[in-house]
Amino acid sequence: MNDSSTELPSAATRRPATDEGTHTGAAAAASIEPKATDPVGRSVVQIGPFHPLLEEPVGFALTVEGERVVAIDARMDYIHKGIERLAQQRTYDMIPILLERICGICSVTHSVCFCNAVEDLLGVEVPPRARYIRTIIGELERVHSHLLWVGLAGHFIGYNTVFMWAWKYREPVCDVFEMLTGHRQNSALPMVGGVRRDIQAQHLPAARKVLDEVDEKVQMLTAAVLDDPVLAARLKGVGVLTPQQVVDYGVVGPTARASGVATDVRRDDPYAAYAELDWKVITAPEGDVFAKAVVRLLELRESISILRQAFDRLPAGELNLGLLHVPRGEGLGRYEAPRGEDVHYVRSNGTNMPERLKVRAPSFTNIASFQASCLGASIADVTITLAACDPCYSCTERTAVVVDGGGRIVGTFRDLLQQSRARTQALAREFGRRPDLDLPELP
Amino acid sequence: MNAAELQQALAGAFGDRIVAAERSPRRLYVMTAPAELLAVFDWLLAHLPGLRLATSTAIDLRDGVGVFHHFAINGSPLLVTVKVVAAKPAPVVPSLTPRIPAANWIEREMHDLVGVDFAGHPDPRRLVKAAAFPDVFPLRRDFDPEAFKESIGERLEY
Repeated sequence: MNDSSTELPSAATRRPATDEGTHTGAAAAASIEPKATDPVGRSVVQIGPFHPLLEEPVGFALTVEGERVVAIDARMDYIHKGIERLAQQRTYDMIPILLERICGICSVTHSVCFCNAVEDLLGVEVPPRARYIRTIIGELERVHSHLLWVGLAGHFIGYNTVFMWAWKYREPVCDVFEMLTGHRQNSALPMVGGVRRDIQAQHLPAARKVLDEVDEKVQMLTAAVLDDPVLAARLKGVGVLTPQQVVDYGVVGPTARASGVATDVRRDDPYAAYAELDWKVITAPEGDVFAKAVVRLLELRESISILRQAFDRLPAGELNLGLLHVPRGEGLGRYEAPRGEDVHYVRSNGTNMPERLKVRAPSFTNIASFQASCLGASIADVTITLAACDPCYSCTERTAVVVDGGGRIVGTFRDLLQQSRARTQALAREFGRRPDLDLPELP
Repeated sequence: MNAAELQQALAGAFGDRIVAAERSPRRLYVMTAPAELLAVFDWLLAHLPGLRLATSTAIDLRDGVGVFHHFAINGSPLLVTVKVVAAKPAPVVPSLTPRIPAANWIEREMHDLVGVDFAGHPDPRRLVKAAAFPDVFPLRRDFDPEAFKESIGERLEY
């Protein structure tokens, strides 16, 4: 697209460089520009920051020597929504509804995590029916979020059939979410001390039917991924995180479990109804992108099993504790989001609004681990390595610009995506396969 | 190890240099001075296998700025919060980043929003605050959004 360097201003003139080493954001921009002192043969590849598909822009600057990545820097100052400050100006009843809007996917995550934090402050246990309803909406969210990731991962490596199939079966899961809660994403169900509304027993048979169908397709997809020699050759050994790096960077969720670190808040610090249900923490020892895909696919089946058990055992009773007052104190809540551990810290001064709310979403620590997983990788593998921790990432698709040592624009993220897909196709030819995943015919 | 046992072990190691409060078997809050922070962190790292920095909270406490590091332990329900309070107007807290890479981004974020300086941070650039944002701290108590909007005019120049 940007093959002519005369049409676009060079990167150096678009963004003026300022003094470095101070607390100014301009230094972040300056540090990723090519400098006259850079060794010959080093280039900077910009990935990001904006894409219409994504709510959160983030920019990555890869310094490459030939095909090999030697340094990576992230820039994430494009949008700051100020949710923490907004929350400090709202009552405890209003905050869960605000926090649902932190992320377009993890809406249950942040609202339940906040409730966990306030309930830790209060030292109360929510009623059983509310705990099961929180489990049901949380696991539905995990199923649709993991299906979304499987689709995106397929897209990044050129397996568009996987993309279409995974997203096709994500739709009925979102429909079930709407049937049970009234909305595909933002249920507004969680509140401090329980849930706001009930879910209706008459909807459960239809929900079970969708789960059965999705379960069957997930099994098929898992078998197809595990059996595909091209995928194994393409993804094994790519973007490896060692268990030590996982602990050092504080990596959480499926990204950590794929490196053999069995951390899962649902088991470690149980909330909702997880302690009463029968399920396994899925881990894989390899730490590469293939292991991360396998962990997510197997977790999908665990989530579906949790949902079936929760439907079976859904107890009758109160929906919430009817809490009216939060005393002075502080509380810490944790929640296992689809992408990993979410942490909220709440400090109350006895009024009806918190004095401080701190939100840490799992991608904050997972994205920082790119410092470890991308170094030494080939540029064709970076796309999928960055995507492997599911960092709300499709924003990177559009505006990446490849700059050579002299500041000349030589390519875009489209080229990166093409490199990634070309590598998959080359492997497919080597194995004598079609350039996409072999899935059985649709019934 | 639950919160009460850890509280006892910490009291044995640090005596009156820390004040530890157990709120529940799963949560321990440890108050210490900024000068002791690295020693407490080193002790925790040596004694609690699987310790990781979950996140940190910076908070304006009127007479000082609090930095609360929340540590989680993989495979355990325990969350250990190590609190330090640095004096205003120029709060300084030792940086954990040279010891644990997970502290890098969160310390930069705390500097951006609450204005704590982390002594010894290897890469003290802005993280979440845009380049054109003036050097004010939006989560300080004295931050006035209306006055701020007036001071920057119609919009920020990016």
